[in-house]
Amino acid sequence: MPFEIFVQLAISGLTTGAIYSLIALGFITIYRASNILNLAQGEFVMLGALCAVFFIEKLGFSYFPAAVTSIFLVSMAGLFLQRAVIHPIRDEPVLILIMVTIGLSIFMSGSAGILFGPSPRSLPPFIDAPSFEIFNSVRINTQSFFVIGATLLLVIILYMVSRYTFIGKAMEAVSTDRLGSDLTGIPGNFIVMLSFGISAGIGAIAGIFITPLFFTQYNSGAILGLKGFSAAVIGGWGKYSGAVLGGLILGVVESVSVGFIPAGYKDAIAFIVLLLILYFKPKGILGSRALEESRK
Amino acid sequence: MRIFKNSIIIIICLFFLAFGLSCKSSGPEGYTPYKIGVNLELTGPYANITKTLVMAMEMEVERINEMGGINGHPLELVIEDNGFDLAKVSANMLKFTRDKNILAVVGPFEDNFQATTRDIAEKEQITNIVVCPSNPRVRDLNQKYAFNIAHSDILVSEKLVDLCLARGYKKILVFPGNWPLAMSLAQNFKRLAAGKRIQAIISEETHKPSDIDMTPQLIKMKPVIESENIDAFYASTGGPPGPIICKNMRTLGIKTPILGTHAFGFGFIIGIGGDAVEGVEFPTGKPVVPYQLDENDPIRKTIIDFHERMLVKYKQGAEQISGHGYDIIWLIHDAIKRSKKPVTRSDFRDAFESTKDFKGCTGIYNFSPSDHDGLTKKDMVFVRIQDRKFNRIKLPEFE
Repeated sequence: MPFEIFVQLAISGLTTGAIYSLIALGFITIYRASNILNLAQGEFVMLGALCAVFFIEKLGFSYFPAAVTSIFLVSMAGLFLQRAVIHPIRDEPVLILIMVTIGLSIFMSGSAGILFGPSPRSLPPFIDAPSFEIFNSVRINTQSFFVIGATLLLVIILYMVSRYTFIGKAMEAVSTDRLGSDLTGIPGNFIVMLSFGISAGIGAIAGIFITPLFFTQYNSGAILGLKGFSAAVIGGWGKYSGAVLGGLILGVVESVSVGFIPAGYKDAIAFIVLLLILYFKPKGILGSRALEESRK
Repeated sequence: MRIFKNSIIIIICLFFLAFGLSCKSSGPEGYTPYKIGVNLELTGPYANITKTLVMAMEMEVERINEMGGINGHPLELVIEDNGFDLAKVSANMLKFTRDKNILAVVGPFEDNFQATTRDIAEKEQITNIVVCPSNPRVRDLNQKYAFNIAHSDILVSEKLVDLCLARGYKKILVFPGNWPLAMSLAQNFKRLAAGKRIQAIISEETHKPSDIDMTPQLIKMKPVIESENIDAFYASTGGPPGPIICKNMRTLGIKTPILGTHAFGFGFIIGIGGDAVEGVEFPTGKPVVPYQLDENDPIRKTIIDFHERMLVKYKQGAEQISGHGYDIIWLIHDAIKRSKKPVTRSDFRDAFESTKDFKGCTGIYNFSPSDHDGLTKKDMVFVRIQDRKFNRIKLPEFE
């Protein structure tokens, strides 16, 4: 494979990988506070994008207010769904909670279909600049920079919040030892609810950033959620840095694999890589403290 | 006391029995409805398309019934959602075949599901009206009870070859989707183009309907486009992948003209594709450009009338799928009118097959024992996306 094609494939993969990373970050945020795997995470991505499209097209908002309102509303939806659906059954085994999130995902995609209509929608790019060329013939879409930038910025913010703020430490404490955190006065229920809100907000941000590149439809959450989950597992379940690394690896491997085999096998390659990584590094590339502790 | 209680129960039962019988025989025999089963994917990936189809069919049934029905009989749709599930598709089809009041069944939409219902239709001898069939193996069976309401993949390919001839394209690179309709469109195009000395190269790279980014495939195809001096790039696809391919191509700096299938003729394609779909040309159904049709076009009036009624009722104009809905209902209406009375399933099928010069929204239908597609390439127009609108293009000698 010529070098330019390899570089072009890798760069294309980085953009796709950054998208997977953004979605993976949402999974990790909820997990770190509540130990729940929220399989409705992809639906927050879809909801964020469709809300923004609605505000721009139907209510005449300009881009920025539409994006902010959409992120706010989806975060509120996350808080509400946690309070109304997850909170009442919080003492059930985690497996039951995970099953409930599958139900939530179906409910959210169905409701989005009714509210926003079933047609696929897109958003205009953030800035009206065409793609540009680097390394002689390798081209990059301007929007890709926003996606990669948003991913890096979010991971830095999430890392700082978890390491240096009370809220971040409280989230860690609630997931590590619920009884202990309750005894120290940390409002556990509020923290878990907050994690759903933040995670929904991250999902909405992901949706708004990626929709100008692709499209969003009421049922696009499931496939995005699956890829995001795979990314989080590859990198190291429970780690923000792992989510980003896993996403980028998944995206690049998927894209570069097309250089060697027909694109029809792209997904198969991605999942073979997932299996291989889990075979040799069962806790993901960066390891997973969460998984180690759960096995004790 | 017990006798009194029993008498009351018997009287109540007799009352309900008498009421039931009177209801059944309240109207004259002529007012029993003609029932049509509708077996569609109302939920799942085709929900968008089938919803539009049902909306159009319901509007036309309502209209027929307001006009007094068909010879006094109202027309009734019995709608069942098959949930994009083969088991439900078969169950619905069998349920309809067992209800002797159902004259014919419309749907399903998905190609693989159609193979099943068409087979049941043959065995149970009930007309099965399907939209957009594309599986060549099923089509070659020449089934007696299955009829198609749409431009077939062969017609679309014929018309696309005409577009290439008119534009002087000699070498086309085809990027097919990996599902039956997209594959069949690509293969038919290659075959028909070869007959006109146009070389169509079908890429080994394919895409899926769920692909959100086709950049990797296009990166691999870019050197072929440059080294083979490709005149045009044919995106043999449908749904969201169409505009995404255009976006990805333009991002990669590929400026080759893009040709599309008739599935590019939907508003959301322009919504998703934006500037990237500007200049895309494709053959498509006439409802895509209702007001741009020639004044003397035999179906212009039908389309505009339907388009305006759709706008009033649903605030969305006619397009290809709703046009198919119109055609289904009025073809049924026409066949029942011509059928022997009382209308049986067999008489209905025969009448449907003998449809001649029926002016629908998709074209002028002429069914025969050897042709259950009914349309010709004259029923399509060439369209170019320009200024975020569908613009009809007239190509002398080819239209």
